[in-house]
Amino acid sequence: MTRRQLLRHTAWFGAAVVLTVAGGEVISHISGPAEAAATDPLADPHALRFVQVSDSHLGFKGTANTAVEQSFQHAINQVNALPFRPDFVMHTGDLTHLSTPAQFDQVKQMLSHLNTAQTLTVPGEHDSVDDAGHKYRADFGAGAAGDGWYSFDMKGVHFLALVNTLSLEKLGHLGTDQLEFIRKDVAKLSADTPIVVFSHIPLFEMYSAWGWGTDDAVQALSYLRRFSSVTCLNGHVHQLFTKTEGNITFHSATTTAYPLPKPGDGPAPTPVTLPAGKLADALGVREVAYRQGNPGLAVKDVKLA
Amino acid sequence: MTRYVTAVLLALSGYIHADLYLHGYRVIPLVGPAFLLQASGSFAIAVLLLFGNALIPRLAAAGLAAGALGGFAMSRTVGIGTFIEHGFDPAPQALISVLAEIAVLALLVVAWRIQAKTAGARATS
Repeated sequence: MTRRQLLRHTAWFGAAVVLTVAGGEVISHISGPAEAAATDPLADPHALRFVQVSDSHLGFKGTANTAVEQSFQHAINQVNALPFRPDFVMHTGDLTHLSTPAQFDQVKQMLSHLNTAQTLTVPGEHDSVDDAGHKYRADFGAGAAGDGWYSFDMKGVHFLALVNTLSLEKLGHLGTDQLEFIRKDVAKLSADTPIVVFSHIPLFEMYSAWGWGTDDAVQALSYLRRFSSVTCLNGHVHQLFTKTEGNITFHSATTTAYPLPKPGDGPAPTPVTLPAGKLADALGVREVAYRQGNPGLAVKDVKLA
Repeated sequence: MTRYVTAVLLALSGYIHADLYLHGYRVIPLVGPAFLLQASGSFAIAVLLLFGNALIPRLAAAGLAAGALGGFAMSRTVGIGTFIEHGFDPAPQALISVLAEIAVLALLVVAWRIQAKTAGARATS
């Protein structure tokens, strides 16, 4: 290669890099005012900011995590140490492992130490063992409709908290009453309202063979298709997973208790015992932020430090 | 002529990735930044292809198209990090983008063969 050719290649390469960086800057600033987009919405005091915690399984005894209460306390401490006070903390189910009164009492006590304006929950199937969710609703169901579902609005976002763990056979199930609730609940909203849906079991088909899906979710999601931004946040699968279907983005959260295998990795979703020192990497909490005018939510999954 | 069509198709792929990035994909770990890089890189290389037929932009165009196709294949099979999608969803963006990227690669091969043939003919004359 001659010196002239080298210079020419270098010039083309340099131009490509400069234009790529400039283009990237332009695209990442398009969705809003330059200054607003440049800052992290989680650092914006005017943004809606909340935390999702999931699958704490208080009362679990096993080698996968011999101290789930300690891990949950760790998660609570981590939320309380955030540089902002969350507008609310949502626990997406399996607060307890066996739904005993003592386990509910303990989880309620521990949740009361969260530094947040509001603590919200949806039930997991472990929160309704043998009693169709009566104890859960007695402790956490105030203000909810039906079997514990509810909705609310905050800072321009409409939230739905659904229950798909009570009538489940293999897959999660919402049921006719809850589907009707969803239909009526969102009918009054304009299509540009950001929607966030909480549920324990995924509303998308993550792995049906292990029950990681909801049999009537398609009906529920059909009511949400007209909205420009829909974010579904779930627990149950004890691992991070993201999927999009048109206007809907699904985010499965990890756990504060113990990991489960990846879909299809083994015969059943039984707790995975990790090598010593590796458990904290599999556990975590999720920070979520929304700034009005932005097209969607910012989701940040953080390991338990 | 193939150079201009390649530039247009590459810009189309970049536009689709930019649009998806702005409408939800930006929050997905790994995928969001990858879409931003694909979009900005595609626009940049599309512009450079309009100005000349140098090796670097052609290689970069091939890399971007192949990378996008590879990412598409991964997202439908093993997943990208914790992200997975099925079929040609989101529609119609996924299908248009895949077709555009295949066409970019095909046009680059055609242009390269024409260039090689011309160079060979020049050498023998």
